[in-house]
Amino acid sequence: MSFRVGVDIGGTFTDFCAFNDVTNEIHTLKVLSSPDKPGSEVIDGIKALGVRYGVSASDVVYFTHGTTIGVNTVIQRKGIRLGLLVTRNFTDVLELARLKMPDMYSLLSVRPEALITKDRIFEVSERIRADGSIEQEVDPATVERSLADAQEVGCEGIVIALINSYRNSHNEQAVKAMIQRLSPGFPVFCSTDVWPIIREYERTVTAVIHGYVQPRVSQYLESLQQALLDAKVNAIPQVTKSNGGVMSAELGRTACAQMILSGTAAGVIGASHVSKLSGHPNTMSLDIGGTSADVAFIRDGQPQFGIGEVIGEFPIFIPSVAVTSIGAGGGSIAWVDDLGILRVGPESAGSKPGPACYGNGGKRATITDAFVVLGYIGQFDLGYSAIEIDVTKARSAVDVLAEKIGKETEETAQAIVDIAVSGMYMEISKLISRYAVDPREYALQAFGGAGPMMACFVARELGMKTIIIPTTPGVLSALGGLIADIKNDFIKTVFVELGGAETTVIQEEYKSLEDRALEWLREEQAYEGDYQLIYSADMRYRGQAFEIEAILSAKDVASGDVTAMAEAFHREHELVYEHCDRDAAVQIVNLRLVIVGASPKPIFPEHNLTVQPATPERTVEVFTGGRLTSVSLFRREQLHPGFTFDGPAIVVQSDCTSCVPEGLSGNVDAYGNLVLHADH
Amino acid sequence: MAIDGVTLQILANHCAAATESMAHTLVRTAHSTFVKETEDFTTGLTTVTGKTFASPFDLGATWFIGLDYERALKLVKSYEEGDVCMTNDPYSGFVCTHSPDLHLWHPIFHEGEIVCFAVGHVHNTDVGGAVPASLSRANVEIFQEGIRVPPSKLYRAGKLNQELVDVILMNVRMPEQNWGDLKAQIASMRTGARKVKEMIARFGIDVFRGGTEMLLDHAEKQARRLIRKIPNGEYFFADYIDEDSVDGYPCRIAVNMTVKEEEIVFDFSECDPQVTASLNIPTGGNPRHVLLMVPYQYVLYTMDPTVFLNYGLLRPVSSIIPEGSLVNPQYPAAVGMRSLGVMRLQSCLMGAFSQALPDLIPAGQGDGGPLINVRTTDTKTGRKLMANLNPITGGAGATAFRDGTEGSGAYFSFLKNTPVEINEAEVPVKILRYGLAQDSGGAGYWRGGTGTTLKFQTFSPNTTITARNRDRCLFTPWGASGGGAGKPSSFYRNPGSNREVNLGNTDVVSIDPGDVIEITSAGAGGAGNALAREPWRVLKDVQCRFVSVLAARDEYGVVIEGGEIDEQATLALRERMGVATKVSGFGFNAERLEFESTWTRSNYTVLINALLKLPVDWRFFVKHRVFESVDNLRLSGAKVCEDDIKAALRNVANDYPEISSELAFS
Repeated sequence: MSFRVGVDIGGTFTDFCAFNDVTNEIHTLKVLSSPDKPGSEVIDGIKALGVRYGVSASDVVYFTHGTTIGVNTVIQRKGIRLGLLVTRNFTDVLELARLKMPDMYSLLSVRPEALITKDRIFEVSERIRADGSIEQEVDPATVERSLADAQEVGCEGIVIALINSYRNSHNEQAVKAMIQRLSPGFPVFCSTDVWPIIREYERTVTAVIHGYVQPRVSQYLESLQQALLDAKVNAIPQVTKSNGGVMSAELGRTACAQMILSGTAAGVIGASHVSKLSGHPNTMSLDIGGTSADVAFIRDGQPQFGIGEVIGEFPIFIPSVAVTSIGAGGGSIAWVDDLGILRVGPESAGSKPGPACYGNGGKRATITDAFVVLGYIGQFDLGYSAIEIDVTKARSAVDVLAEKIGKETEETAQAIVDIAVSGMYMEISKLISRYAVDPREYALQAFGGAGPMMACFVARELGMKTIIIPTTPGVLSALGGLIADIKNDFIKTVFVELGGAETTVIQEEYKSLEDRALEWLREEQAYEGDYQLIYSADMRYRGQAFEIEAILSAKDVASGDVTAMAEAFHREHELVYEHCDRDAAVQIVNLRLVIVGASPKPIFPEHNLTVQPATPERTVEVFTGGRLTSVSLFRREQLHPGFTFDGPAIVVQSDCTSCVPEGLSGNVDAYGNLVLHADH
Repeated sequence: MAIDGVTLQILANHCAAATESMAHTLVRTAHSTFVKETEDFTTGLTTVTGKTFASPFDLGATWFIGLDYERALKLVKSYEEGDVCMTNDPYSGFVCTHSPDLHLWHPIFHEGEIVCFAVGHVHNTDVGGAVPASLSRANVEIFQEGIRVPPSKLYRAGKLNQELVDVILMNVRMPEQNWGDLKAQIASMRTGARKVKEMIARFGIDVFRGGTEMLLDHAEKQARRLIRKIPNGEYFFADYIDEDSVDGYPCRIAVNMTVKEEEIVFDFSECDPQVTASLNIPTGGNPRHVLLMVPYQYVLYTMDPTVFLNYGLLRPVSSIIPEGSLVNPQYPAAVGMRSLGVMRLQSCLMGAFSQALPDLIPAGQGDGGPLINVRTTDTKTGRKLMANLNPITGGAGATAFRDGTEGSGAYFSFLKNTPVEINEAEVPVKILRYGLAQDSGGAGYWRGGTGTTLKFQTFSPNTTITARNRDRCLFTPWGASGGGAGKPSSFYRNPGSNREVNLGNTDVVSIDPGDVIEITSAGAGGAGNALAREPWRVLKDVQCRFVSVLAARDEYGVVIEGGEIDEQATLALRERMGVATKVSGFGFNAERLEFESTWTRSNYTVLINALLKLPVDWRFFVKHRVFESVDNLRLSGAKVCEDDIKAALRNVANDYPEISSELAFS
């Protein structure tokens, strides 16, 4: 036997996905996360896989792991006490951020306190010019003094972020070397080592988050490595990265910034895979959990990438799968304002106390409670989540609101769902406009605990006609980890005008990026297989204040064909902004290179379709369309490829419930995905 | 038709989605930095009568909630499907408030009838006129502020009015950019129309029409409920712009706010007359003009962030704005720098609200720092370029519960800065310093947010620096509840050298190669008694370099030696200082106190009442003559009283028989 195991640690549950290489079967499992003893749930889960599916530790040939430890360290502010060394006269980069306040309309809006307050920010005398030349070498006396001051106020590590270092890291490296000499072993991080981009705030805050979480993440990965060895798992553990790839856990210990969004990104990778398999290459993924919903767009089967994702209260600027979080989930609380209007969110009952129907002390009605009242949930056991749904508690929570707005309990529950869905519609509409997506050309893929419950309603509001619910919607991130490739990003800011005298710089810099990429893949990641290089550049028209990334062909890069590079940019600009200007001067701000080493992929077998109407296990009464209606209830494991059914229907499986309203029909595709079609 | 609360809330979400989508479409397809980075634009939907019922929340300028397009809409005789109309004339319909703001509106039809309008504006970097970027305080009439388009059809029944576009583009400095942004605006109109049609399909025309009116009604109800929480009373406050024209006299903005049950009246009768400079605030006599209402809306939103931000909020309020005053100027007064006027108006209204709601309203916000624009030549390439450097924002005022935010959060919470590295890479400048200005925040139990400083050097001849909104060198942001005023702003050329020039409130300056410019915004006001601030907070401020050791001693009475608090010395010093400390009321700086010892409210009332009787053209002139003679009197050491003001007015009357009858006193 040989198994590939993907694990994703979330706030409440840790998800497992074990793929049997011989039978091509997928086994899934959820165990409770143990935030107090991070890593122990992995071992618990591996044991449980053994008990339940006969997976023995020595059979595990490939192991990937997504974790929220980095994000949680930032959210809970449990990182190390850092000092920051900056260029003299530029000490307020974190305090000022980019000025714009979080809530522009409120007189009392506050910026979150920076991870490093100004009493731990110190100056170094040095200066690099914008063209990368050195105006002033580092004055060692200022480094010595600043380091002493930092240690005096209890700093446990230092981040160095100097003006214009993106162009030349000489001075940052010089400061780092001095600190290492003065204080051997003291943690020290250079902004240009973390991610060397132009824009001092963006680069600095990224390096600060990195340094802040690094010791904790490193410690965690080390204990995980040890625990896996102790458990006799011989596979070299890989961790999932924000960029949708994987790297070895060993590398993760020093490249923490790259694995901050590990689990979220893996979910989108899993969704991309399902979107390709199901024949819907353009898909919007909607991952709804208890407190938030993550939205991502997948085009041609590929996730989209961006920078500036938000971690807790701070943005981080490294290449990440573009995912936008909406503050609404199954636990969002419904309430009535003082003018008698029913509202939903933004407050959430979270996982503690959770929805009223969980019986853990929650008293206020949530979206999940509304679904319980309507009858979609709670008429059957939920499987391994070990949560008993208490319908009475859900009803009484909704009753409180019903009384205030003068409606029946079921009508109120319906209103909560409708308002919640319209709120999601509003947030997703923004994204649709920002990314210029036509929702009618996209399928909606729902996963996460509450995704399949709400997906059809959201799709109907958005005018989306196809909804896909993967076979394992509850553990898609864990599955994504098994599909992700080995991947790393490299960047160099060059700031040259295409066709100018400095064009040769492009070829030279790409060459040096290639060398670094190969060194990473072969030596650091120790990967011997085939690889692919993806070239791209952040470009803009001269005078623009923002860049867009255009993919370049390896051939044009090798031959230094600047006309072709410019044309790639014009086309991308046209695509994104609906206009381009072929006469305007084009600047390249950043050169980018991605190296990808293919990971061994699980094979998802295509099944023969047995087209026939599915037989419901039974019918249940659900309040829909203003009245109680008999609705078919199906068990997911009984819906085989080719089976069809019509809404209204409910499909239950161990990790979630799919609600299919009237007007939709469903079928199971050759890979076991549930595909729902709207008549609208 | 009756629409229940649930449907209304769902419709509200759909309307918000429509305007957010318009905004995202605009940002995505726009060309200029102003739209993409500074976000100086709006998008919205209005009722058939032009009342804005929905606008985006996350994107765009915050000054124009509930903009009223009614008068502008009526200036176009008739509408056909496919029309897109435009204006950028501040005097046609009073929807546009200075010429760079190009407003568009697009009627949306259903079965042959208009059901609503998609609307919006973009601040164009330049629309021609006397100076680059079209805006300078020195402009005195609207004709200097660039091309003006009266309400006109940009598209007539779906067909572009190319001639109109050509005329506009011929008159501006960067036509490609204006045209690019205009196309983005048009795309945003189309997005709005599509979304409205989707809403009509989903909700039905009756629910849509009725619902949009109900959104306004609902906001009005919310507003009335909130106003009831504000104590009834009359609240007076005044604040000043340092100069009413280049090197002029102070310009006073005053309001008498009356809160009665669920309504508010802002009486601006004691405001200065319109000025012969571009600081005027064009409201067209509309008592609910949005420029007068910005702080009111911030206050309501701060009281309850769930209010619907639309025109309905404005219904319970009104204002009194005499014709020919700063807040209701007559054509063709220049209005380009109305943003400076509006900022001071905001400060003035906040002062009034602060008396009614002391726990909610922050002390005076740090302002007076400019938006900086550099026009220079790249010596390496010979290319001329014009670029925005950072906005020099002030800090936020201290509140009753915490210190003000450092360096931002004041009247321009929506602005972003430009990274130092981007500035240096794109513009031939070297940034020497960008950061917070130590000791600039007003002292208080809660400290005012510090201002920011930008210091830079340029290297080419014929370099011009424009510094829009320069102010607050003289009168600084006020403290509240006994807190101190913020420190003044400043503007220097070659500071600390033997070629140092104090540029004060100058807003355009030409400089030489190698010159250094240093601009600092004012700090915000503090709140509460500085001597009661816990010494550990003062020490932390010193460690963070927000406050110097010297200021800790002089302003907070905290003695810090060798990085530690000397507790005994602190106790003794605070006791000595305590005698002279204010523990309540507004904190004004010495300059303001001195000015107001001459120009008391009663003295000013005599002047304003006399000026209001004069023909509008004469008012500014007579004000200056009176200030001149009062200044002479003050310098002679005399205490100025109402009779002195009357005497000064009589002297002017004697010199100018044309106006002697208006200036006749009993």
